[in-house]
Amino acid sequence: MIGTFHDIIETARKEGAKKRVAAPSVTKEHIEILSEAAEANLIVPIMIGKGQDIEDAVKQTPLASLQYEILDEKDSLGALTRAMQMVKEHEADILMQGGVSQKAFIDSVLNGDKGLLTSKRASFVSIFQLLKRDKLILATDTFINSEPTLPEKQVILENALVLAGILEMESPKVAALASIEQVNPAIPSTLDAAILSKMSQRGQFGDVVVEGPLDIDCALDKNAAERKGLSSIVTGNVDIYLTPDIDVGYLLAQLLVFIGKMQMIGTVMGTSVPLIVNLPFVSRDNKVAEIALAALIHQRGARHG
Amino acid sequence: MISTLEHVNRLAKEKGPKKLAVLAPEDSEFMLAVKKSRDAGYIEPILIGDREKMKKVADEVGFDISAVEQIPEIDRQAVANLGTAMLFSGDVDMESKGQIPTSYIYRSIIKEESRAGTGRTISVISLWDIPDRNRFTSFTDTGVNIHPDHKAKAAVINNAVFLFHILGYPRPRISVLSGQREFGGTLPSYEDGKLLKEMAAAGEFGECEIVEATSFADFFLNRGEQLKSYQDIDLSNLPEILLVPSLDTGNILCKLDFFLDVNRRSLVMTSKGPALIPSRSDFCDSIMGEIAMGVVVADRLQEGVN
Repeated sequence: MIGTFHDIIETARKEGAKKRVAAPSVTKEHIEILSEAAEANLIVPIMIGKGQDIEDAVKQTPLASLQYEILDEKDSLGALTRAMQMVKEHEADILMQGGVSQKAFIDSVLNGDKGLLTSKRASFVSIFQLLKRDKLILATDTFINSEPTLPEKQVILENALVLAGILEMESPKVAALASIEQVNPAIPSTLDAAILSKMSQRGQFGDVVVEGPLDIDCALDKNAAERKGLSSIVTGNVDIYLTPDIDVGYLLAQLLVFIGKMQMIGTVMGTSVPLIVNLPFVSRDNKVAEIALAALIHQRGARHG
Repeated sequence: MISTLEHVNRLAKEKGPKKLAVLAPEDSEFMLAVKKSRDAGYIEPILIGDREKMKKVADEVGFDISAVEQIPEIDRQAVANLGTAMLFSGDVDMESKGQIPTSYIYRSIIKEESRAGTGRTISVISLWDIPDRNRFTSFTDTGVNIHPDHKAKAAVINNAVFLFHILGYPRPRISVLSGQREFGGTLPSYEDGKLLKEMAAAGEFGECEIVEATSFADFFLNRGEQLKSYQDIDLSNLPEILLVPSLDTGNILCKLDFFLDVNRRSLVMTSKGPALIPSRSDFCDSIMGEIAMGVVVADRLQEGVN
């Protein structure tokens, strides 16, 4: 079972093939991270940008004696275009945001015609390591989709289930979150959650239990749920938290990091290759685990077939 | 300035007992909290509800309520109306929700505020005591408004600022929380923040400050900065009032106390005193802490008024 970030790194390493990471407009900091991931035998970086600057920075790191590639491209957007081209032509296995701005990167990769979408919709999954036991939990969508509709939530859930499979979660238990655990027609999130829960009950997601609507106290605490008259195998043992919108998702992930001091990494699901995005609240110390996760997704991801 | 729950508990002992109208204490966990609060000298309770049910749960937790004032009432809305009327007439200092639907107590408060002509709207504020923080942080509105517009949010801010002034924070900092990122257009929650900042600048909320930051990353990191180490997180950057965009956000964030090493106290600040809104899933200690918070707020409010 993969229960920690360390497990992710070890599993990715054991499964072998070093992944080619296309990294546009890299800065010194990105190169240091890539160097660490290369040292861990996870990747071969392909750095696209100002060739001489990159070469100089590489020399300051252990990457200098390892396998890497530099492609000279002065323009930042040009570097991104070239990186995306490599991904499309299977010359690279993973795409890193590198020094490209958030907006340019997300808008380009998620562009309907020219982007890298394979699923109907891409979504972001946060992976947290629990503080008290070796277990990973997922929360989604915590970054990409603003106000997903029910069909979009269905895709977001399915994307997360693909990742759950890659992380060897058996019969994943999903909490479709809302403000209350009762279905209230005045609160749209409770309706969406109830429908997803019913879909799961009918086996539409396979060997998965979606419980919803669940408020966060019922999701987190079996006793709390029972006091509200709610009995479910999901309460108190959630693998995947499905958030109703981005206000909840984005803020929830950050609160768990900054106040809860929980370690977090993330990934985009629903694209032709794994993406490594610059989220300011993924700590520097966890970036290698995040790259390892991308490598593992590429290795195991059925969606890329 | 009242800054921790330990401080609140100490003050509650000192300033109590306050009269508390308890609306339908018909669950043993809840009744136990009432008993313990009475034993601690926080409150003199008046129990309103189904006499038999109250007796049954009181027996379960070893609470002899024969000497406690009781008002038998079975109808749930009538229970709420009675308690709230007592709060507004000054017969009690505070009220607390027991086993009645939350909407009933909201309805009774709205009616009494309107009768009193205060113009006050209602919202729930959930205070968080975070270890080593030594200052309360709060989420609001965590209970009433499903999708407040900026006008409703302005009223929510007013209520929160009022409470923080009572607790001795002369100039609370407010963040209008949002899931706004650098892509994906402008979210309504972010738009509202801009409008509310203009209102704050025009002095609509009294002594307070709306900060630029709209998310936790903004509180703790500079623009473009990446989190280096968890040791570097400086919790003093956390504002006192976190205005949430919606009920979903507020409820989900504020109840993360079930997961994290923090404690939560939720209340509605009416013009006549606090109405405590423990969650149906809260346990005895948490409910008792909420009662202590109510005692302190009621006391401060009375001090200010008299």
